[in-house]
Amino acid sequence: MIHRRRYRPVAQRINRRQFIGRAGVFAGAVALGPSILAACGGDDDDDSSGGGGGSDSIAISSWLGYMSDQSLADFEAAIGITPNYDETINDNNEYFTKIRPNLSQGEGIGREGMVLTDWMASRLINQVDPPWVQQFDEAAFPNKSNMLAVLASPEFDPQRLYSAPWATGITGIAYNISTTGGEVRTVDDFLNVSGTKTVLTEMRDTVGLFMQATGADPANPSVASAEPAFDALQKALDDGQIDGANGQDYVADLGAGNLAAAFAWSGDVAQITLDNPDVRFAVPESGGMLWSDNFLIPIGTDKVTQATQWINFFYDPANAAVLTAEIQYISPVQGVAEALTAMGGDAAALVDNPLVVPTDEFLASVSIFGTLDETAEEEFDQRFSEILGTG
Amino acid sequence: MNERDDEGRRRGGVTPWLLLAPGMLWLALFFFVPLWTLFRMSLSERTDRFSDPTFNWEWSNYREAFSQFGDQFFRSFLYGATATLIALLIGYPLAYVIAFRGGRWRNLLLGLVVVPFFTNYLIRTLAWRTILGNESWFVRTAQDIGLLGDEGILRSAPAVIGGLTYNFLPFMVLPIYVAIEKIDPALVDAARDLYSNTWQAFRKIVFPMSLPGVFAGSLLVFIPAAGDFVNAYYLGDVDTTMIGNVVQDQFLVQGNYPVAAALSFVFMGIVMVLVTIYARVLGTEELT
Repeated sequence: MIHRRRYRPVAQRINRRQFIGRAGVFAGAVALGPSILAACGGDDDDDSSGGGGGSDSIAISSWLGYMSDQSLADFEAAIGITPNYDETINDNNEYFTKIRPNLSQGEGIGREGMVLTDWMASRLINQVDPPWVQQFDEAAFPNKSNMLAVLASPEFDPQRLYSAPWATGITGIAYNISTTGGEVRTVDDFLNVSGTKTVLTEMRDTVGLFMQATGADPANPSVASAEPAFDALQKALDDGQIDGANGQDYVADLGAGNLAAAFAWSGDVAQITLDNPDVRFAVPESGGMLWSDNFLIPIGTDKVTQATQWINFFYDPANAAVLTAEIQYISPVQGVAEALTAMGGDAAALVDNPLVVPTDEFLASVSIFGTLDETAEEEFDQRFSEILGTG
Repeated sequence: MNERDDEGRRRGGVTPWLLLAPGMLWLALFFFVPLWTLFRMSLSERTDRFSDPTFNWEWSNYREAFSQFGDQFFRSFLYGATATLIALLIGYPLAYVIAFRGGRWRNLLLGLVVVPFFTNYLIRTLAWRTILGNESWFVRTAQDIGLLGDEGILRSAPAVIGGLTYNFLPFMVLPIYVAIEKIDPALVDAARDLYSNTWQAFRKIVFPMSLPGVFAGSLLVFIPAAGDFVNAYYLGDVDTTMIGNVVQDQFLVQGNYPVAAALSFVFMGIVMVLVTIYARVLGTEELT
């Protein structure tokens, strides 16, 4: 399974062919990664004291395309800490499989920070006691007050003691209007589009959209309330209204015109539309899914203050704007729109892109998938896998 | 004199074991120990996502593996066998031509067979995803001339089998080439002198003598093809999932190591049975 990947649009804008090519290569690398990782069991480093080397460096693991060289240099120059930043996270489940052996023994994973999606953050915070992540050093996090209000009090970490959103995106429907011949506004519209259509292998995104389409609230999920959504998904697959499920490799097919429509992530579509304006993104009328990837400090490192300084730096609106201009996902920091405007040029133009700076109307139509307890999560995963033919 | 003989025999008795030791050590460390670990895991009980499974003679994992994933097992062996057969039908004539008609181009032709291996396996598979995409020239041309319907071919069983065949074809060609290349052309000439036509010479001389290559090539294609998950993931859909996809899902999404290990053991068991039957049927002396 593949998760979100981000690109490098403004400063180093890539053309469509490069974009699609990278998407394909990355997707392939991700596919083999899990099998190798499964065999490894543990993390690359068994260093239980953290992986950043001396006190003036920290090690961070994140997703591809979530960082720019400029931002790394800015951080080092401003804070005096050298970030050893890697992009080794391809998938939440895969990464969990990798770090679980160390964390379950109370050992570090050789990292001071990692970026994981809401539900995985919730798992590490709430489903183990004590949590497998550490609280921020609040004294070193004054910019926490800049966090967007809509993200400040999630159910899984109400006071944001353990997690801080790194970037945010919306799951909705991407479609190629030259193929569909008209706008796609609902999940039913999506199912009725002629041509190849896919959903996402990320359970919460696909089931969340179907739950909203069937009148259920994904913010308060239960096995019973999700059953109509699972049934609808199963029926759509059985009836051939959906052709399959993709990880992030839908990007290549959508950009190349091989897909008529797909459940998709907003940041990916923002990038695709730069080169293929026929590709549109819609939040279904029944609602889209809002998700965040969160910065977390794993147990086993004593550099909590330095790691907190890292996230604090990127919660400064000016620094966040520089990063947003690169990665083109929704920033969790207030004041980024103004900072982008101040930057001028291509960066300022992003302010008008609702996929990067969403309007209130946009945000009002999305939900965050609620927390599942372990039993419910296993039932959801199992049911979803069965529908996708692997469970 | 007798003492020397005794000492020589004693040394002679130890030497083979010494020569075997590195290989046996390698096998023990990197095959039997992992296999034992996997076996223990397949009989372990999984309590939750956060703890290591505990060994508990949990035979129910095998029951689950057998009962829940029959479709995927069936598809794996069906796709693997079909890909092997197609690879044989393509690979045998290719190897035959290279060996008997290649002449000074033989090395170049062999090189062309191997060249795709210089590219990563995943890249090759992803290339097929592009080639078989609805907007590709290949599919459009096939649709224009009526070979394909509007639904295209990507995300279908033929696409998965085609990908498996393509990716493992060299494993079929090379062993067959080696077997055919060892055949003395004079034998074919002799058959013709004895009034055999070309087909009879092939059927009675060349093909039987190339069976060790066919046997080896078939195994080299069938076993990895049946266990593959990449082609089903990228070229198939939810109706073409293979057992490799299930193992991947159980390991990495469900976090259910015991069932994944049990599935792996069941798969290995079935493969061993099939290979044994195949070896008995084909009965090539060099390899069985």
